[in-house]
Amino acid sequence: MSIVLEQLTKRFAGHPVVNHVSLEVADGEFFVLLGPSGSGKSTILRMIAGLAGIDQGRILLHGRDVTDLPPQRRGVGFVFQHYALFHHMSVADNIAFGLRIRRVPAAERRRKCDELLELVGLAGLGVRMPTQLSGGQQQRVALARALAYQPAVLLLDEPFGALDAKIRTDLRRTLRRIQRELGMTTIFVTHDQEEAFELADRLGVMNVGRLLELGPPAELYEHPQTEFVATFLGTANLLVGQATQDGVRVGPLHFPLRTEARQISATPRVQVLFRPEDVVLAPTEDALVGPPLGQGEVEHSTFAGSFERIRLRLPALAQVRLIAPAVPFGSDALLVEASRSPDQARHFPLRPGDRAWVGVRRIHALAHPGLSFLLVTDGSATAQAALAVGGQIARLSHARTTILSHSRPTDELAQLLQTAREQIGSGLPSLETRSAAGPPTVAVLQETERQPYDLVVLDTHPPYGMDLAEELLQTGEHHLLLVPRAQPTFARVLICVAAGEPGKDDVLFAGRLARHLGAEATLLSVLPAGGALAMARLRTERFLDAGVRTLGLLGVPAEALVRTGAVLDEIQAEMTAGGYDMLVLGAPLHGSDGRGVLAGVVGQVISAMTDRPVLIVRSHYAAGRARWVGPNGRVSLVEEVL
Amino acid sequence: MATIAVSREPDTGRSLPWGRWGVRAGAMTYLAFMLIIPLAVIFQDGLSGGLTGVWQTISERVAWHALVLTLWTSGLMALINALMGLLTAYVLVRYSFPGQALLNAIVDLPFAIPTLVAGVTLVVLYGPQRALGAWFDQTLGLRIIFAPPGIVLALLFVTFPFVVRTVQPVLQSLDREQEEAAATMGAGAWLTFRRVVLPALAVPLISGTLLSFARAIGEFGAIVVVAGNIPLRTQTAAVYVFGEIESQNRRGASAMSVVMLAIAFSLVLLADLLQRRARKGAA
Repeated sequence: MSIVLEQLTKRFAGHPVVNHVSLEVADGEFFVLLGPSGSGKSTILRMIAGLAGIDQGRILLHGRDVTDLPPQRRGVGFVFQHYALFHHMSVADNIAFGLRIRRVPAAERRRKCDELLELVGLAGLGVRMPTQLSGGQQQRVALARALAYQPAVLLLDEPFGALDAKIRTDLRRTLRRIQRELGMTTIFVTHDQEEAFELADRLGVMNVGRLLELGPPAELYEHPQTEFVATFLGTANLLVGQATQDGVRVGPLHFPLRTEARQISATPRVQVLFRPEDVVLAPTEDALVGPPLGQGEVEHSTFAGSFERIRLRLPALAQVRLIAPAVPFGSDALLVEASRSPDQARHFPLRPGDRAWVGVRRIHALAHPGLSFLLVTDGSATAQAALAVGGQIARLSHARTTILSHSRPTDELAQLLQTAREQIGSGLPSLETRSAAGPPTVAVLQETERQPYDLVVLDTHPPYGMDLAEELLQTGEHHLLLVPRAQPTFARVLICVAAGEPGKDDVLFAGRLARHLGAEATLLSVLPAGGALAMARLRTERFLDAGVRTLGLLGVPAEALVRTGAVLDEIQAEMTAGGYDMLVLGAPLHGSDGRGVLAGVVGQVISAMTDRPVLIVRSHYAAGRARWVGPNGRVSLVEEVL
Repeated sequence: MATIAVSREPDTGRSLPWGRWGVRAGAMTYLAFMLIIPLAVIFQDGLSGGLTGVWQTISERVAWHALVLTLWTSGLMALINALMGLLTAYVLVRYSFPGQALLNAIVDLPFAIPTLVAGVTLVVLYGPQRALGAWFDQTLGLRIIFAPPGIVLALLFVTFPFVVRTVQPVLQSLDREQEEAAATMGAGAWLTFRRVVLPALAVPLISGTLLSFARAIGEFGAIVVVAGNIPLRTQTAAVYVFGEIESQNRRGASAMSVVMLAIAFSLVLLADLLQRRARKGAA
């Protein structure tokens, strides 16, 4: 194994930028790390090169543990996105730099330099200065420079990101050819999925610091295991259906599974994926090959060169939830993305507004992860009450549950966990118990880092408090349920939202939970008192109507309320008047410093709500994202002075 | 009625029709009065005896010694300043430590302190009656005050910010990726500094050094206090000129002034040329 990464972790401002990443790259393999911006892939590359520090984990290059070695001694070749050529040296001097350091004699240096220039397609340009070259040429020089001293491993950090599309494709081919010729073990980082597919022998997809899936591109494209990978690698049609004995049920349709089924867990729900090229369109139901999803109307069609892309809207299927393509808020349609060859398009032309029968050739089923809960307790009476509430909701939601206990001597903990297990263990897909020493904040944060959760349930009394709640809102994507005391029933839920994108996420998650609880919901929006613009009111009402429709689709009876006045007062008034069992709020958006604070209205409401649980929902618009802006305003992870 | 094509002038001068010309005229007049006319007069006066007249004046023993002393003390100071200014700039930009902001502000202090005060400070610190001065004198046989070493120290104090401030912004905006690239290729810290960082700093370093040299040639206040006015020993060109003026020898003063001006002028031009070349090269 050329490159081995073991549990690599790096934290910035307390949050994991790279979260326990392990992978192995074989000799001569072209490995691509793919992910959106901020997923940590560049950081991992820099950690391998020694340009960024490591908090935890090990790196082995050709069996050598290089974790503590400076970049000079690791023997890696690194190609940067912005070339990083030495401007005051000629092309030839740039390439020969690594050779000079290794005291290679001048004649040998010249020979090697010419050889490399030939290899990258820049023969004869040795005397030029970097500023006289185009971007693509400069990157070729950078590549030659990195290869000159025959490094053990070649690392490329989005090397073609700053170049035109045509140059990019040229350079991709050049790089692939060179890599094969030299048999060089390579790690390539990119956010461009097309580039990843073209170059990779194997692909690793990352998101928010975690390595999600590994495998050959075709494998990940056709058989992804997670929702993120399915939607990130190309366009996906993703629905939630039911698993049956021998196949998958999507609404009224049944798809028998032909391929050997991956072991789908005991949960009855599955995510069903089919790609646009698996969709068949026909003018009549009989002409359709394969099971029909329904008859739909063309929303738009796009010409994309070698194929045609069509989006159709079909009537909703019962008990089928659409995950991708994303449905507009409040709509109940089923959207399908299809792609057709120009031949097919000619045979059966479709314009927006036309109707067509939609069928699916084949599907792939992913295990639907369901919800995962983290319940925290320290054995005190109030914590136990919170545990009971959390356990009840977990049972109703059929969620995988982890109980974390802390700050107690080990044998007490064991007893505690045993009791908890007995109390709520039955009826859960999985129950894990963990114990941690140390203060609650550290213990809880470390647990959320170890594994992503959908919901963290906390007691509101000391030693927990606003600080811990605030900390939990900085990182990860988990929602928060703050429980002040025991709660026997969940029949009515009050959801406070503001019109806008984050509000949609609030409604969606609250709705999911309410459905599990079998509760009714009321959507409440509070507009500022006196002089609320007619436009704002209209927008709010429209938003709430869409919200009520969405909740209805999820199976939750709902109604909408608009109030004007002070937010805190109105919420309190409505809570007491309406006899609600739970309050749902959206987490505050992050301020300019990147921290979401509970100092404002949300914090006040939480403090005031001493007799009902409060659910704080995170919108992915407010997701905690580590900013790496250095002291002089530039993104920099070079911590030591070279 | 036929439409007439009206050529519209750019809006900048519309509201103040005399504005554009006024601004230019104002700036040129100010420059002329404050700089050009006095310089022209000095040149005319100093060269009134022709070039031979100038040569006669400065080749006289006292004047010649003053000129040579000025040149070598300023030269030595410039070299030291280049090295230490570079080091200071590097520390201020690349390291972070408590009190850094304060240190950064102090660098500019010599601009604000009267040069006489600078001289007094040095006398207080290194005067022969003081412990430090006495120690230097007795143990090392080195006299600081009223001797050339004092002159160099005074010049170093006064021109301290020049190199630091020209190098600092360039160092600050350097792209670290080049240094990272060098590191991955096996270059240690010193090699990276020599082959990657220093070449990028060459221009600001040299122009900063030239500027400090030019400034040093004309230094008066600090030197008069630190070095006294001993002809053929510690009398620099500027002090010599002062002496000549005091003793009513305007001709001699002008001649020496012309020489000093010529040197300073060419240095400033050279520094400016270098910076212009560098800007063009970077574009």
